Amino acid sequence: MKETKNIVTDHPILSVKDLRVHFFMDEGTVKAVEGASFDVYPGRTLGIVGESGCGKSVATRSILLLVDSPGKIVEGNITYRGGQTNGQETDLTSLKISGSEIRSIRGGEISLIFQEPMTSFSPVHSVGNQMIESIRLHKKLSRSDSKDLAIDWFQRVGMPNPEQRMTQYPWQLSGGQRQRAMIAMALCCDPKIVIADEPTTALDVTTQAQILDLLKELQEQNGMSIIFITHDLGVIADIADDVAVMYLGDVVESAPVDEIFHSPKHPYTNALLSSIPSVFNRNRERLPTISGAIPHPHNRPSGCTFHTRCPSFIDGVCNVSLPTKSELGDNHSVTCFLYEDKK
Amino acid sequence: MTTTGKKIEESPILEVKNLRKFFPVQKGILRKIVGQVRAVDDVSISINKGETVSIVGESGCGKTTTARCIMRAIDPTSGEIKFNTKNGEIIDLASLSRDEVRPYRDDIQMIFQDPFSSLNPRMTLFDIVGEPLLVNGMKNRKEREDRVAELMGQVGLRPEYMQRFPHAFSGGQRQRIGIARALSIQPSLIVADEPVSALDVSVQAQVLNLMMDLQDQLNLTYLFVSHDLSVVSQISDRVVVMYVGKVVETGTPKEIFESPRHPYTAALATSLPKADPRLKQERIVLQGEVANPSDPPSGCYFHPRCPYATDICKTETPELKQIGNGRTVSCHRIDEINLPGV
Repeated sequence: MKETKNIVTDHPILSVKDLRVHFFMDEGTVKAVEGASFDVYPGRTLGIVGESGCGKSVATRSILLLVDSPGKIVEGNITYRGGQTNGQETDLTSLKISGSEIRSIRGGEISLIFQEPMTSFSPVHSVGNQMIESIRLHKKLSRSDSKDLAIDWFQRVGMPNPEQRMTQYPWQLSGGQRQRAMIAMALCCDPKIVIADEPTTALDVTTQAQILDLLKELQEQNGMSIIFITHDLGVIADIADDVAVMYLGDVVESAPVDEIFHSPKHPYTNALLSSIPSVFNRNRERLPTISGAIPHPHNRPSGCTFHTRCPSFIDGVCNVSLPTKSELGDNHSVTCFLYEDKK
Repeated sequence: MTTTGKKIEESPILEVKNLRKFFPVQKGILRKIVGQVRAVDDVSISINKGETVSIVGESGCGKTTTARCIMRAIDPTSGEIKFNTKNGEIIDLASLSRDEVRPYRDDIQMIFQDPFSSLNPRMTLFDIVGEPLLVNGMKNRKEREDRVAELMGQVGLRPEYMQRFPHAFSGGQRQRIGIARALSIQPSLIVADEPVSALDVSVQAQVLNLMMDLQDQLNLTYLFVSHDLSVVSQISDRVVVMYVGKVVETGTPKEIFESPRHPYTAALATSLPKADPRLKQERIVLQGEVANPSDPPSGCYFHPRCPYATDICKTETPELKQIGNGRTVSCHRIDEINLPGV
């Protein structure tokens, strides 16, 4: 279904480097993101995949400095290279959390599509008004021009009767339509990057297929980059060009999508891929499993955080020191001791 | 790796015939009934002993309502639910009153979707798993403790954890507790409503394996309700596909996914994202939204979204036709169209 886009030559439009986001709670510090790095390239889709609690949402929300207290970005750089004058570099972490610079980036340059549009739209304003507000915040347009633009976007995202929908409230729309409205709102200011946080998880499969197709189509037209967060490897295979696999706050492996699925390197990626039920598996076949459960955030394992569940665990190595990132070529990197000597 | 030792008998343990459940739509201060939501509309399912039958469909298709009617958690509007009890009696659960159903409750147990809200946070594991035993007459505490310990061993939890509260456990462990509770009074049929959809993939596989193992060991029959086609194809012997309260197709997972005969089944199977970027999947894209069960379309409920619909589909309701051993399809154009599978 997917046409492989050209191999990356451009500079990344966004680079996250050694990001650490900690939540300072009464019970102790939760290291939600611990040293994660990833790059987003222009016009490509980066899929971030991981199980609950791996920090995928927090890491991407940090890009827009949307980390709720008691959370704090304690370390790392987020370099955005798409500023008004092209190529201008901005370190987003250096901006004031509620300053005008980040506010013009939020929604304008980098926008966000949420998982549950029902809770992210205001229930007391019509979807049309909410869209117009967002357009007028970021573009110098009159009210009637903004309205035309909003209707135009509703049409582009395939909303039936766009003019009528403008006056409706979020609860009057179906799940799929709400997600279309959300996408229209995220894209109406022509952002360079769209962060989609599990945008299809709450939808049925047939609606999910429609929304994924829509995102791909809009990306072709607009050339924006997408950061797509999901726990569903099937969705990743469908939409992503590059993939970052996260486990307990760190990116354990990142590679182009084909590499991730056809030559995964990290034991966690391997285990994750083999433990998903698939319609291609033999019926009633036992699934290979990852032993144990995701550790509690207050009990971060020492050394490599995956060592407690890893089938290739090396005693005295994995539980003692931290593995470093090994570059395996072709944009494939993995953080695991198994590959450290092969650098 | 395939599980062995599982035997499916040819005698049905459960036969649901023409089950209907309509919910009234009330309006005004007099609560006048102005319409009906046809949540389950003429559903027939038969499950053999030792079999796993799955109901799949999108949200609002009536799969959970069907399961709840079988549990008699809600009262069906009409239809028969013939159940073969442990003592060999065949009873119609749908015709019994709530009190009359009571003695048969220990034969059918349920596993719930959300392991966080389905366990009482103020009860210890021993109380949760032991309560069905107490209710069913096991008054001796020592006896109950032994049985709970045995059950915990069966579902892969350490018996030492018996005095802990649910909050001390992870999602996967909690779902194991739910399974232990369902097994405690040795039911023959287990209704599992989305038992793994709240779990992470790595944990989901553990719970699915556990369910398959327990089925082999204890000769259980499962009615599995899920929206996740991959999970369904992994675990079931037979699949029932529902759309807006009606069964549109039944068959083995292989039949359903590889050679679907109903356009809706084909759309479900081909829209499912496959974990392989190299795979080229021909996809049936559906237009529009799921029909409203309180105001369903005329004829075949699927016709407004069906790319193959003709005039007959708009006027006449298709019947569920038998097209092979255990294979049924409800489509007017079954012989004319050629559908892609996965």
